[in-house]
Amino acid sequence: MSHLSIPKKLITKNPLPKITISLSLSLSPILPSPTDATTTHERLSLSFPYLNTKKNQLMDAKSASTYSPNPTRKTKPPIFADPDWSRPDSRGFHHCRPAFFRTGAVNSASGSAYAEFGNTKVIVSVFGPRESKKAMMFSDIGRLNCNVSYTTFATPVRGQGSDHKEHSSMLHKALEGAIILESFPKTTVDVFALVLESGGSDLPVVITCASLALADAGIMMYDLVTSVSVSCLGKNLLIDPILEEESYQDGSLTIACMRSRYEVTQLTITGEWSTPNINEAMQLCLDACSKLGNIMRSCLKETASASQE
Amino acid sequence: MGLPNASGDLSSEVDVDAFRRLFPLRFHERHLAESIRPDARPLGRARDTTIALGAVASADGSALAKIGSTTMLAAIKMEVMTPSMEAPDEGCIAIDFHMPPICSPIVRPGRPAEAAPVVSKQLADTVLSSGMINLKELSLVSGKAAWMAYLDIYCLDADGALFDAALLAAVAAFSHLQIPVVSLNDDGKIVVVAEEHGGGKLVKDPVNKEKRKLALSSIPFSLTCILHKNYILADPTAEEETVMETLVTVVLNSSSQLVSLYKPGGPVLAYTSAVQGCVALTRQRVKELQEILGEGISVNSGCEGGSLVTSIREQLIAFVLKSKYDIAVICCMLCSEVYELL
Repeated sequence: MSHLSIPKKLITKNPLPKITISLSLSLSPILPSPTDATTTHERLSLSFPYLNTKKNQLMDAKSASTYSPNPTRKTKPPIFADPDWSRPDSRGFHHCRPAFFRTGAVNSASGSAYAEFGNTKVIVSVFGPRESKKAMMFSDIGRLNCNVSYTTFATPVRGQGSDHKEHSSMLHKALEGAIILESFPKTTVDVFALVLESGGSDLPVVITCASLALADAGIMMYDLVTSVSVSCLGKNLLIDPILEEESYQDGSLTIACMRSRYEVTQLTITGEWSTPNINEAMQLCLDACSKLGNIMRSCLKETASASQE
Repeated sequence: MGLPNASGDLSSEVDVDAFRRLFPLRFHERHLAESIRPDARPLGRARDTTIALGAVASADGSALAKIGSTTMLAAIKMEVMTPSMEAPDEGCIAIDFHMPPICSPIVRPGRPAEAAPVVSKQLADTVLSSGMINLKELSLVSGKAAWMAYLDIYCLDADGALFDAALLAAVAAFSHLQIPVVSLNDDGKIVVVAEEHGGGKLVKDPVNKEKRKLALSSIPFSLTCILHKNYILADPTAEEETVMETLVTVVLNSSSQLVSLYKPGGPVLAYTSAVQGCVALTRQRVKELQEILGEGISVNSGCEGGSLVTSIREQLIAFVLKSKYDIAVICCMLCSEVYELL
């Protein structure tokens, strides 16, 4: 049942783009300061007559070109060059961000989960098993359909909010080995993910959250799939990297696994790695995966015991 | 078999859930006759409503609004544009409403929901025509640069009254919006002034001196009602909306002036008295929503000088205020254009 998918990128050396957007910089201006609290309740009693031109302005607005005032900083040397640097969120190199899970986030879905790892916030809804599309061929096992999309405000620079094809396909590959597709023949299970805010390690969080949502929907699985990634930055291995660290990384390793069966459903390695580093990174990931699995199980148990009362 | 009066005989024999699925209209009418709704609300009462500000750290202003299980996440991103010739000292607001596939079993990827562009247009019209925001406040350098506020509202869970929840989220996001401190650089571009190095690099004066909030005047609030026979049902759920199709949306501002009244057709026509009933219900609802929004703002500004960005988690802690409605219900007839919600 284990699936190993190693993309072609593995061969190319250091293909990761260096994005020079500083996260801390782009966020700092929006953090409210205590002095502004007083202005909150001010109400200007301006009467502003409605003009027809305003409506046109709105229409023009969408076509007009705009730019984000957040600068792309090229001048500032990354702190990672310093031999004894610490992580921007003052975590240890081998510490994950605190994970928060909640099932049943969306009532209209068969199952759903919300996951929050630092600034990475994700909602996954599961629909079905339901009728497959008419155009689909007959299949005596079930189908899995995955879709990942981002909100327009998820990234530091405003995006288009469109579907993320690569993540959708990776999510599908990470989950299909864990689901007992024979248990719902001829039908489809839809797994839809929306990244509300991208704070780094998006795909691992989506995969983890999706398996929790599947469990919440009562879809039969061999085990929960947990996923964690490690970034290689110079000599250091950083587990669960944030957006800023990901943009400077030399290499990245992501594992999705079913911990209680000792099976890996997906392994992705990109960039520049040495063999001992890969071994260490995999060990780190697997350890983190089993801890994550425990948190997810306790989340599911809580929901189950709460619903019994 | 399929005769309408057949359900009457069956109602005492079949299981409640089966009856609800087989004869949804009869099921709801039986409740209405007892002046109660399937979720135990009186006819004129809206569902529990909560607001959490600052749910998204990567946006300049954001809010999560929840009416019952209908959930909306609104966030504003500020960008810079060149103002038009006609209005050189005015900024712009672009509003978009999204229904991603996670929100409802009806929406599939690649096939956008029909309701989304309708709500989007309605929201843009309401926010801009209410005069809540003075567009002159969004000006930076007259004729050269002005703010463009991109407001995107995502429906995370669709369970009826989408417009009400979306408008509430939009208004809350504007009240949370912090306009960043910016200055004009040598290339004539507007850039954000980073706070940490205040001393050395400040060559040019900042265009706006400090982070500020928009002054919001006459905030619009809305309530959607269903008209069915002699009944007016406030704040319908998705199930009620599919069974009884006539909707009336009333938008009033904080001083109870009518901003918009929207009745997109439907099988039931409204008498003046029905419209008056809807407006009266909305007037009460506006008072509640004002209170809820006010508390949302004070909770947000109270948290550690704002350095702690509130997350969706706070939704759990957020207070719950119950609505109090008891208004007589009246009959209806009147007509306008046609559109389908869901």
